[in-house]
Amino acid sequence: MNHAIISCLHANLPAAEAVLNDIDRQGIGTITCLGDLVGYGPQPNEVVELIRKRGIATCQGCWDEDIIDGLNACECSYPSQLAERRGHLAHQWTDDQLTDENKSFLASLPTSLRRDRLLFVHGSPNSQHEYLLPDMDAFAALERVETAGADILFCGHTHQPYVRELRDGSIRVRLQNADHECDQGEELTLPMRKIVNAGSVGEPRHGSTNATYVIHNDATDEVEIKEVPYDVDRTCQAIVEAGLPKVFAWRLSHGFEFAEQAEDASHVCER
Amino acid sequence: MRSHQGKCGYLRLDGYSSNGLEQVSNSGIDKTFLKDQFPELIDLSDSHHASRSQQGDLLALIELPQFQAPQHAGLTGMDPRVKNQLEALQLHPDRHLHFGRDPELPNKDTLEFKKLESFSLSLNASVWDPPSLNTLWFELVNGAYGDVYRAKALMNLPDGRSMFFNWIVSQESSQFLPLEEISAPNGRPASLSELVVQGKHLDGLRIQSTIDLCLLNDAVLEMHQMPLRDRQKEAIPST
Repeated sequence: MNHAIISCLHANLPAAEAVLNDIDRQGIGTITCLGDLVGYGPQPNEVVELIRKRGIATCQGCWDEDIIDGLNACECSYPSQLAERRGHLAHQWTDDQLTDENKSFLASLPTSLRRDRLLFVHGSPNSQHEYLLPDMDAFAALERVETAGADILFCGHTHQPYVRELRDGSIRVRLQNADHECDQGEELTLPMRKIVNAGSVGEPRHGSTNATYVIHNDATDEVEIKEVPYDVDRTCQAIVEAGLPKVFAWRLSHGFEFAEQAEDASHVCER
Repeated sequence: MRSHQGKCGYLRLDGYSSNGLEQVSNSGIDKTFLKDQFPELIDLSDSHHASRSQQGDLLALIELPQFQAPQHAGLTGMDPRVKNQLEALQLHPDRHLHFGRDPELPNKDTLEFKKLESFSLSLNASVWDPPSLNTLWFELVNGAYGDVYRAKALMNLPDGRSMFFNWIVSQESSQFLPLEEISAPNGRPASLSELVVQGKHLDGLRIQSTIDLCLLNDAVLEMHQMPLRDRQKEAIPST
């Protein structure tokens, strides 16, 4: 049976509506959302209410967490002073706009969802703030999936959709004594694991303005990355009317993310 | 200039605004950059230097912002107001070339405008967060703050370097050139720093407010510079 996975809506209502309409047209009834319902975009309440109204199973993203707990990522998570200040401005604006009811909903979201051998998270099983990039070291990627006890790990956060198959994986453990004589070793051969990144509905970072999501068939394990055009101008107009920085509209309309990605995207702030 | 054996001089003349085509004020960016690259460069805006330099084999670069091609070729096509400026400095040109008309000059540097706005901002003593500067420049020349046809700047970095930024819409990419002179990493530099932009529908307020988000305050600047000073101290051998 096909099910759809969406992520990183970022308060972009036209994009969220377009993606959900696309999923509905295909008769797919099961949808899982990987979080970041809010952040940067102009319609945080509308997007949260759409997800609530549709009863879509959702896990908490980094922006959802920060709105509830306060900013817990320091400037090291931003690639520049400009990105940090824009991020803080967007955080404050979103915090001011969101209703208490919608904040309570974001606070109630779990950090992960599991359905049998499928695990759904925002960033990684370790943290909503950790990026699993497509070119991440294979051992580290395999470790994330294996430790979480999943065959397929669905994630978002990078805004770049991808499917990564980790074939013929093995983890070798060697123990060494203090006198440096090799004592014993063990090799664990693992079946194929898969990481599926759903990209972003509301803030694409894949070279086009189209929203992305993925469809997974749980019988065949086939994954399809879908691109959906939406009314970008409507979102840009809403950004300007909301009083958010006009440059957010310019960046979105040109297929650039609101804030650039950190140079060391795998860095997780532990402040 | 690099291959010329004799003396080199530079002069920037004021252009004239007309019919919605706005000239930008002489910011001194080019002069500062050239003086950095050629320390012996003669400043021809000083009439004393200008008259003395006529005696030798002088290569004079005279920059004149001008929007329309002259009606006549050669010296007869030169704007009389420009001639007067030169004569006041005792400079007597033997040739007059114009971009877009004379084949000796690259044609791709020629742009035609019906309307042109200018924006300039003094950034003296300002120091940039380098990644923020990269983002600002990318947004600026790609149209986030209006259609930019021409932009150039001298920008200070926290390690004491100063960079010349140069963009023209007909070129494929920006030019980023470091100046030879490096300030000591000890507070704010004294060198000239300025941004000049020409284009259409320029939103100067938004350019300025974005720049404000990119500049380092004293505490952050000190955080950048303190380790540099420590490294410099370590590099000096004790006697």
